[in-house]
Amino acid sequence: MTRLTPVAPVREAAGARPGSRIRRVLPGGVVAAVTLALPAFLDDSALTVYIFLGLAAMVTVGVSLLMGYAGQVSLGQGAFYAVGGYTAGILAVRGGPPLAGLLAAPVVAAAFAVVVGVPLLRLRGHHLAFATIATQLILLSLAGQLEFTGGDIGLQGIPRLGAGPYELGDASGYAYLTWAGVALVMLVTRNVIVSRPGRALRALATSETAAASSGVPVGRYKLVVFALSAAFAGLAGGIYAFYVGYVAPSSFPVLLSIEYIVMAVVGGLGTVWGAVVGAAAITLLVQGLNVIGTAPGMPSYAPSVLSYAVYAVVLIVVVLFLPGGLLPAVTARLRRER
Amino acid sequence: MLSVQEVSRSFGGVYAVRDVSLDIADGEVRGVIGPNGAGKSTLFHLITGHLATDRGAISLRSANVDRLPPHRRAALGMSIVFQGARVFRGMTVRENVMVGAHSRTRAGFVSAALRLPRHRRDEREIARRADEALARVGLTAWADRQAGLLPLGQQRSMQVARALCAEPRLLLLDEPASGLRAGEREALAVLIEELRAAGLTIMLIEHDVAFVTRLADRITVLDLGRVIAEGTPGEIRADPLVVSAYLGEPE
Repeated sequence: MTRLTPVAPVREAAGARPGSRIRRVLPGGVVAAVTLALPAFLDDSALTVYIFLGLAAMVTVGVSLLMGYAGQVSLGQGAFYAVGGYTAGILAVRGGPPLAGLLAAPVVAAAFAVVVGVPLLRLRGHHLAFATIATQLILLSLAGQLEFTGGDIGLQGIPRLGAGPYELGDASGYAYLTWAGVALVMLVTRNVIVSRPGRALRALATSETAAASSGVPVGRYKLVVFALSAAFAGLAGGIYAFYVGYVAPSSFPVLLSIEYIVMAVVGGLGTVWGAVVGAAAITLLVQGLNVIGTAPGMPSYAPSVLSYAVYAVVLIVVVLFLPGGLLPAVTARLRRER
Repeated sequence: MLSVQEVSRSFGGVYAVRDVSLDIADGEVRGVIGPNGAGKSTLFHLITGHLATDRGAISLRSANVDRLPPHRRAALGMSIVFQGARVFRGMTVRENVMVGAHSRTRAGFVSAALRLPRHRRDEREIARRADEALARVGLTAWADRQAGLLPLGQQRSMQVARALCAEPRLLLLDEPASGLRAGEREALAVLIEELRAAGLTIMLIEHDVAFVTRLADRITVLDLGRVIAEGTPGEIRADPLVVSAYLGEPE
């Protein structure tokens, strides 16, 4: 697993030439405009895909921060997504203001990450990966047993998100909310990475010893970045709960956590935009496979077999041929042609 | 500046460092030499805090540090240049050096995420210090390059710049000359001489006796985990115990 965590160069280096600023900001602006315009052109089922894509991107940005920059592996990111979903769901079902539920989702997910992170982050590499995946399994099994989480059936009838007289009813509203969340998460990540704490994280990813002797409190920083990535997942989970209207253990399978890793690696670990590109590529691919898998004449097991197989194949192909991920490969090619 | 009092550390019942004491005065350049397995690296890591002592006390500027983690020792003014190239990958040379200022600045995750004015001020200050440190070791031209692409000699200089960026009181260097070509070694020696002239206290752990003899005010010789001699380079060279430790017992 450690082989999957190359620490990619950060291009937003301090002191970049001012002339390149427009060229760096322009693509972002175009992407933002397209993101905002899209909900108007999508039908309901496409809008659902669009929302799930955004939620996945939100979680994957956190995975990329954690794995790509800070060098810590988490195969349990779905657990924080679940904590966010359940937090929002439980608060809303019990009559709390939905907005408070949405705000509590990332906070509780981060707090949960701190609690499990204190013992887990002593582990490294694949030990940490297994421990995080175990955390998710334990959490799911608890959620399936406990009464206040609704057991295996889960929490039903989570009200729609709203504040006062306003209610977020239609899917396009959730699409805007989701993508606003993605933008927030990307902005926070980018700001952190190019700053003092971000440099400390990138430093400890290579050498905890040298980072510590440079004055970086390694243990605390690993905990904070773990909590930050959990908060991103928790926020996505909160939006998910309000949008779908119910959460159950089966909403957060372990495959989800693996999916986030695949998205982060495919897009390009250690790039903020790569996480979004990876999430988009994998989500669209899985949708396409679903169409094929559920086509008339296909056996009933076709969709699941196809998606499992394709995760594996995509991951292997990317690691073999585009070890930096899709986005760095594409930008490198563009740069060469220019 | 640094005081090590009867420090011991054993691994599986075997002493790597046994009852070692040494005192380094302000502004002194202290060399620590010894044959392979003498306990130099263990002593080094006991001082940096990456290994815990079994017994004894270590104090830096009269503050007891032997139970403090490495980052707290860094905050007290101890800066380290590790053996080998501890380059932070995926970062430019300047960014590598900027990490050195970590304990001299405070902007945390929240002010970074929100780009608060304090964070911007801090960033400018850190970049300025880093550029000063890079100029001092002659790496200004390399500042925006990927640190991993530097030749070994320059990676070592970059580590020195990173240490200087922390504005240290005490600079610890672990085998800084190892693996360097003659020209690089000379450049490093000149740099250390300049730092000494500027009044920095330096502890130099080194395998290469000639390198240490040239730079150190005093030398401590370790053998089999113990201090067998201490004195000026001239005294050390004439010490029969030292000669036999390096050349074997006379017949």
